Amino acid sequence: MYLLEHDAKELLAQHGVPIPPGRLIDGDETIHRPALPPGPWMVKGQTFTGGRGKAGMIRKASTLQQIVDHANAILGTMVRGHRINAIRIEQQVTAAEETYLAFLIDPAAGGVRVIMSARGGVDIETLPPELIQTDVAPPDSAALAACVRRLAAAMPSHEAGAMCAAAEMLARIFIEREALLLEINPLFVKSDGRWVVGDAKFVTDDNALFRQPKIRELLRQRAAAYPATHLKLEHGFDYVVVDPKGEIGLLTTGAGLSMMLIDEMRAAGLKPYNFLDVRTGGLREETTRLVQALGWIAEGRNVRVLLVNIFAGITDLGEFSTLLVAALRKVPQLKVPVVARLVGNGLQSAQATLDQAGIRLFTGLDGALDEVRRHLADGGESPQ
Amino acid sequence: MISPRVARGTPVIVMGISGRAGTLHSRLMKEYGTNIVGGVSPKTERNEINGIPVFASCSDAVKATGATHCVALIAAPQLLAAITEAVAAGIKYMVTPAEGMPVYDALKARRLALDAGMLWIGPSTPGMAVPGEAKLGFLPNDSLRPGPLGVMSKSGTLSYEAGYRLSQRGIGQSVWIGVGGDPVKGAYYSDLVPFFAADTQTEALLIIGEIGGHEEEDLAATLKAQQFSKPVFALIAGRTAPVGVAMGHAGALVHGNHGTFEAKRSALAAAGVQVFSSLNEMVEGVCARLPQSD
Repeated sequence: MYLLEHDAKELLAQHGVPIPPGRLIDGDETIHRPALPPGPWMVKGQTFTGGRGKAGMIRKASTLQQIVDHANAILGTMVRGHRINAIRIEQQVTAAEETYLAFLIDPAAGGVRVIMSARGGVDIETLPPELIQTDVAPPDSAALAACVRRLAAAMPSHEAGAMCAAAEMLARIFIEREALLLEINPLFVKSDGRWVVGDAKFVTDDNALFRQPKIRELLRQRAAAYPATHLKLEHGFDYVVVDPKGEIGLLTTGAGLSMMLIDEMRAAGLKPYNFLDVRTGGLREETTRLVQALGWIAEGRNVRVLLVNIFAGITDLGEFSTLLVAALRKVPQLKVPVVARLVGNGLQSAQATLDQAGIRLFTGLDGALDEVRRHLADGGESPQ
Repeated sequence: MISPRVARGTPVIVMGISGRAGTLHSRLMKEYGTNIVGGVSPKTERNEINGIPVFASCSDAVKATGATHCVALIAAPQLLAAITEAVAAGIKYMVTPAEGMPVYDALKARRLALDAGMLWIGPSTPGMAVPGEAKLGFLPNDSLRPGPLGVMSKSGTLSYEAGYRLSQRGIGQSVWIGVGGDPVKGAYYSDLVPFFAADTQTEALLIIGEIGGHEEEDLAATLKAQQFSKPVFALIAGRTAPVGVAMGHAGALVHGNHGTFEAKRSALAAAGVQVFSSLNEMVEGVCARLPQSD
């Protein structure tokens, strides 16, 4: 999970990392002077992509009016497909050098890549290689700290001490929280050797959340900002609304096939509503997960048909079909025709179950998509 | 490295055989023709499951059967322990289907496997198969057919669909390996290129990829460096996925310009790979270049 800058910084601050004092303003919240840290300020749009500065989503302000103007300009803007729903207002850091520090899991090297540079504040890829110190270390705090000290030895002495101190502290957090990426850019270094985190990108390992209570707690408190991860944690599967105006609800399993289905539908001019990897192999004879997913799909105002596409590997289709029919009964608000496309282990008993429920079963995806088109052309039955 | 190819007689043990998935899929693998010689379960009282003798530990099973191949139907939080046990028991080829293995566990497991010279396939994989011979895992029989195409896939379900459609058109597979969609894992596409280059029954390669990470880009570099001379086809999912949102697989997360569909397409195309963004295009493209049997 890619943490928003605000959450990344607050998580770091919980571990004792110095950050500029700041506040998160969500959506329509009114901005009051007493709630803010002392100025001048940075007004920073919170989103899941880099390049915020270039997109004009990070601005300086020296009066309350400027803050309000910037907030109005930033909130609601779309940056690379994401709507900015919140801003962080924080105190500007002045009279400091901008440096760069990052740790990331490097799968090819089988360890943690450390990247340091005395020149930060810019895109690291634009720096000439001689200004970048980098190496790979095994994934433990002591090895990382040693790597950091070795790299810092090659840096200008003024920044080296502060960067070393910062990097040792951040390395420990990186390992303890099982992070996949922690990038600090800029890492501000003051002339007296103090340092403060200017911007932070933090990517957590969702597979390790079961043993990371601090990150689980953050996610619980900020569920609305991370709907997809929150759902996965609460319910054990992936669901993303890809087009709120979409017309086709998808009950699908498998990330790759579900993504490909969406790509292909869009290329053919169809409008899928959601991505879903319901993990039929993990249903364990209960309808809970299917009922949950169908309930969310029913929230799509324009959804006019439901396409079920399951290519069973670990799943038994007979068992799945029985669960599907039971789950559909429990979600009466989903008043749309159902088209099923199933292949794999247990198909025969699935056929009998779906026939009885009046659901047309296809084994070819093209045939199923034609049926979906037919329902859309008929006008379908619109949910209330 | 042990050969990724398995044969009808290759002896295989199943860790986690008394669990739900272990019981079902040890039976289905056996029915397919895989030579399952033992199961491992420290918990069960049963001496045999599906006619397969059950042992209390991996090392007991290895001692009794001589197996070097293992499928572990074990949940993600326990996978690192299972891999540690298998390595210690002398297993040389291990398939771990479970999804959701913590990345730091996978880093440790990868180190263990490399040091022991064990080929580890997984996590997050349906496994591997040599159609007509044996399968380790649960690739669906509907998709399997003996033939000339080597398959490597990051996505289980998408590869099922691809294999199914190609099989219907008369193009089967030589060796099919699900490498899995996780960022840290046992075998990457690039690791298996020398095998597919040398395998005489493989006439062409099909890569099932998806957005995120840079495995497809690394593969492109490896194909070029090793002057891989067989035709290579690739199908990449996630062309229209939003940036910064993981679509199911932990690895399928696009940051900035890295791991995008376009970055993968251009890297692979530059290495001479024919890249497709839809199943139908891929099937037609492969059929145009390979002979089809009835």
